[in-house]
Amino acid sequence: MFAFVVRRVLVGFIMLFVMSLVTYLLFFAAPTDPARFTCGKNCTPELVEQNRKALGYDKPVLVQYVDFVKGVFTGREYPDDPEVAKTAPQTVVHCPAPCLGYSPLMSQNVTSLLASKLPVTASLAIMAFIFWMVLGVSGGVVAALNRGRFLDRALVGTALVFYAFPTFFIGLWLYIYVAIKWQLTPVPVYTPLTQDPAAWLAGLFLPSLTLALIFIASYVRITRAFVLETLGEDYLRTAQAKGLEKRKILTKHTMRASLTPITTVAGIDLGVLLAGAIITETVFNYDGLGKLAVQAATTFDLPTMVGIVILSAFFIITANIIVDVLYAYIDPRVKYS
Amino acid sequence: MITRRKAAGLTALVSTGLLATAACSGTTAPSQGGTSGGSASATKGGTLYYLTKRPAEHLDPQRIYIGRDLANMNRLVYRDLVSLPISTDLKEGTTPVPDLATDTGTSTEGGKVWSFTLRDGVKWQDGKDITCEDLKYGFSRGFAVDVLTGGPNYALAYLDVPQKNGLPVYNGPYKKAGQAEFDKAVTCEGKKITYRFNKPWVDFPLAIASLRFAAPYRADQDKGDQSNYAIFSDGPYKIEGTWKKGVGGTFVRNTNWDPKTDSDKVRKALPDKIVFIEGLTNEIISQRLIADSGNDKFAVTDRRIPAALFSQVTGNPAVQSRATLVDAPFIDYVLPNFNRMKDLKVRQALAMATDQNAYITAQGGDKFGKPAKSIVSPALIGYKDNPNFTAPPDGDPAAAKKLLQEAGVAMPSPLRYTYNGGTSEVDNAAAGMKAAWDKAGFTVTLDPLTDTYYDVIQNPANNKSDVVWGGWGADWPSQATVLPPLFDARINLTEKSNGQDYGNYKSDAANKLIDEAATKPDVQSAATVYNQLDDQLGKDVAYIPLVVQKFYLLRGSGVTNYLQTPASNSYPELGAIGVSSK
Repeated sequence: MFAFVVRRVLVGFIMLFVMSLVTYLLFFAAPTDPARFTCGKNCTPELVEQNRKALGYDKPVLVQYVDFVKGVFTGREYPDDPEVAKTAPQTVVHCPAPCLGYSPLMSQNVTSLLASKLPVTASLAIMAFIFWMVLGVSGGVVAALNRGRFLDRALVGTALVFYAFPTFFIGLWLYIYVAIKWQLTPVPVYTPLTQDPAAWLAGLFLPSLTLALIFIASYVRITRAFVLETLGEDYLRTAQAKGLEKRKILTKHTMRASLTPITTVAGIDLGVLLAGAIITETVFNYDGLGKLAVQAATTFDLPTMVGIVILSAFFIITANIIVDVLYAYIDPRVKYS
Repeated sequence: MITRRKAAGLTALVSTGLLATAACSGTTAPSQGGTSGGSASATKGGTLYYLTKRPAEHLDPQRIYIGRDLANMNRLVYRDLVSLPISTDLKEGTTPVPDLATDTGTSTEGGKVWSFTLRDGVKWQDGKDITCEDLKYGFSRGFAVDVLTGGPNYALAYLDVPQKNGLPVYNGPYKKAGQAEFDKAVTCEGKKITYRFNKPWVDFPLAIASLRFAAPYRADQDKGDQSNYAIFSDGPYKIEGTWKKGVGGTFVRNTNWDPKTDSDKVRKALPDKIVFIEGLTNEIISQRLIADSGNDKFAVTDRRIPAALFSQVTGNPAVQSRATLVDAPFIDYVLPNFNRMKDLKVRQALAMATDQNAYITAQGGDKFGKPAKSIVSPALIGYKDNPNFTAPPDGDPAAAKKLLQEAGVAMPSPLRYTYNGGTSEVDNAAAGMKAAWDKAGFTVTLDPLTDTYYDVIQNPANNKSDVVWGGWGADWPSQATVLPPLFDARINLTEKSNGQDYGNYKSDAANKLIDEAATKPDVQSAATVYNQLDDQLGKDVAYIPLVVQKFYLLRGSGVTNYLQTPASNSYPELGAIGVSSK
C-alpha cells in the first residue's frame, strides 16, 4: 500500500508539471497579445513593447516556464529588475516558495491570491457535498427499497427534472425568487466562518443547494442502481433466509457494498468542485476559485491561470489517490501492491 | 487595461457628462438625473450601498482609467488641485473649481506653463499635511508606465522632457534615468507647483479635474504595483480594512479631512459609510433594486437596467419613480476602412444607408440611446451636429443606391463588417444594419469577433474588414480628447498598429486643423476649429455616427439627493448623494 501511494504521488507531481507546461504553451498560442491588457486607452506600440519586457513576455516561452519552475522551488522577485531593486526596493515583491507567480492584473502573488479564494470555494463545495450525499444517497436508497412504487417514480422523475435544468438557471431562479422577491432567505453573501459562523452558514444555503441539486439528481439514480444491484446478490438472499433483521441487511451488508462505487464518484466530484464552481460562484457573486478562473481567462492573466490549473489538478489528483486508498479499506477484496 | 467589450471597454474613460446645453450646441438637452422622489434635504448619516458588476481594475490614482472609478474616487478619497463641481448644468458642471489649490491655476507661455498654489490645512488621512512634493511625486508616478500600468499617459506626451524612441527619457520615480529632466519640468517653490509642457495644454485644468494623474501621492506609501488597491486618502472618506478586487470595500469617514478646506460644491459627504459590492450581475442588481428591500433601499448602481426588465420598471409607478434616463458619455460609430473603401461616393452611400434605429432598437430602444449626429458627444464643449450626416435615423436605401450607381460599382457591392460581438444584442444590432445596407445595394458579411477584436482591427495588415465598429468616450470635456486621438494619422498609424484610427484615415487637411486647434488659447476657441475638423471628417465620411448611449439606472427608495452629473460621468454623483435615516 505504501509503495502504491508513493508511486501515485510521484506520478501526480509529474502530471502537475505537464499541465502547467501545457497551460503556458496554450496561453502563448492564443492570438491575443497579453501585453496589450497592461496598457490604457492610448496604447502605443512603444508602451506595449516596454510592458511586454517588464512582464517578461518577451522571453522565449520555455525560458519563461523554466523561470516559473525555479520560482516554485526557490521563490522569485517581481519585478525582476536589479535597477529597481536598488533604487526602489519597497516596490519589489518577494514571492516565497512555492511561488506560483505574480499577477500584475490582481497586484498580488498568485499563491496568496489562491489561498484567499480557497476558503470560499471549499465552503461551497463541502456544504454542497453534505447536501448531495445526505439527500442524494438517502433518496437513492429509498427509491431502491420502493422499487416500482410511486415513491420510486417520484424520486427518479424529480431527479431527472433537476438534472435537466442548467445550474445557472436554478441559481438565478433561487436568487431572484427565494431571496429577492419572496425574501424567504437573506440575500446570499459570503461571510468567513471565523467572522460569523451563523452568517457563514446562512449565506451558503442557497448557493450550495444550487450546486448540490444536480449532484443530488445524479446520486439518487446512481445510488438506486447500485443498491438494486447489491440487493440482487446471493449473499443478501442468504442473509434474509437466515432471518437477519432488514435494518441490519440494509446498513451492514447492502450499503457497505454499494458505498464502494459511490465513494469513488463522490471523492472525484468533490475534488473537481474544490477547483471552483464557476457558474454558481458567478451567479451568487462568491469570490472563489471558479470566479477567479473566469476573470483570469478573460483578462489573459497567465500567472493566475497557471496557478489555478495547478491547484485544480492537485485537488483532482489528491482526490483520486484518497479514493483509491479508501477503496481498499471499504472493500477488503481490493489489495494494492 | 484594454478590454474587449463595447464602449465600456475601450472607451473606459469618460470625463464629461451628458447634457448639451442650448448655449453650447444650439440643442436643448434632456434633464439629467434629478433629485430623488424622497427628501432632497442634505441629511448626514447612514450607509450608502453601491452595487456594481465590473470590478475596479485600479484604485491607484495614477492608474484609474474607468469613468465610474475616476469620478467616485475623486468624491471620496482622491482630491485634486481642481475638480469638477456637482451640477447638472453642462456649462457649470464642466468648469473646474479649486479643490486642493487656491484657484484654478495660472497659465503662461500660451498654455505651456501652469502653476497652482496648494491651499493651507489640507491633510492626509494620517493627519500629515499634503505638500507640493506630494503633488510632484504623484505626477511622476504616471511616468512609470511599465510598473504602474493601465493609466492615462497624456503627461508622457506633454511634459517638457526629452523623448527617445517614442517615450520620455524619464521613466518614473522607481528608476533614476531622466530624474534631472523631470525635476526641471515640474518644480516646487513652497506651496506652489509649476508644470512645464512642450506644447500648449490649454485644457490642463479640465484634464486634471477629470482624470487623477495629477493627484498627490505620498512617497512613503508607494509600493509600486502592490499599491494598486491600497487607498491612502485625502478626501472625506478612507477605506476600512482593504479593498478586495471582485468583492469591493467599505469607506468610512476620514476624521482628518477638514470640510473647511473643501467645498460642498464638490463634496457634501453625507453618508457615514459607503459600501461597494462588486461582481453582481446586471439582472440581480436590477431585481434587488426593484424589490427595494433591506439594505437595497439605500443602494445605487452604475449598471443599466437590462431590457428584459424594462416592463417591471415602467409598469410599476413606484419603481419607475426611482429610475432615471440620462445621456451617457459614450458614442458608438462605424468606420469605413480607407485602405479598402477608397471611393467617396461608396462611403457616402454607406452613411446614407445606415439604419441607426435598427442598431438602437436591437439593444434596448430609447432606453439604450438616441441617434447620434456626430462622433463628438453632445455634452462636450462647443458641440455641433455634423452637417454632413443627412440620412434619416432609419437610413435611406434609395438615396444610397443612387450614390452607388453614381460611383459606378457593380451591385450588390460586397462589404465585410467587423464588429465587437459576444452578445445577442450586438449581433441583432449588426443584423439590423446589415439588412439596411443590403437593401441599399451592398451585400454584407458580418464578422463578429470577441477577444481578438482589437488585435484584429488595430493590425495594419488587416485587409479583410471594409467597415469596423468603434465606441468612444471623451477623457475630459473637450473635443481634443476625441477627434485627434481617433483621426490624427501621425500619432496612430505605424507599421505595427493603426492605434485608435481603425479606419486608417489619413488627411493633411484634417491634420492641419488638428494643429491649428492646438494653438488656440482656450477650450472654446479650440472647439470652433474642432467643429471645422468634424465637418472635414464628415465630408470624407471618416466615420458614421450610430448612437449617443443612455444610462437607464435604478436606485433604492431611501436614497436622497440623487443626481447624475457631468462630473460623475453620468454615474451616480457620490459627491451629492445621501441616504434617509434607517
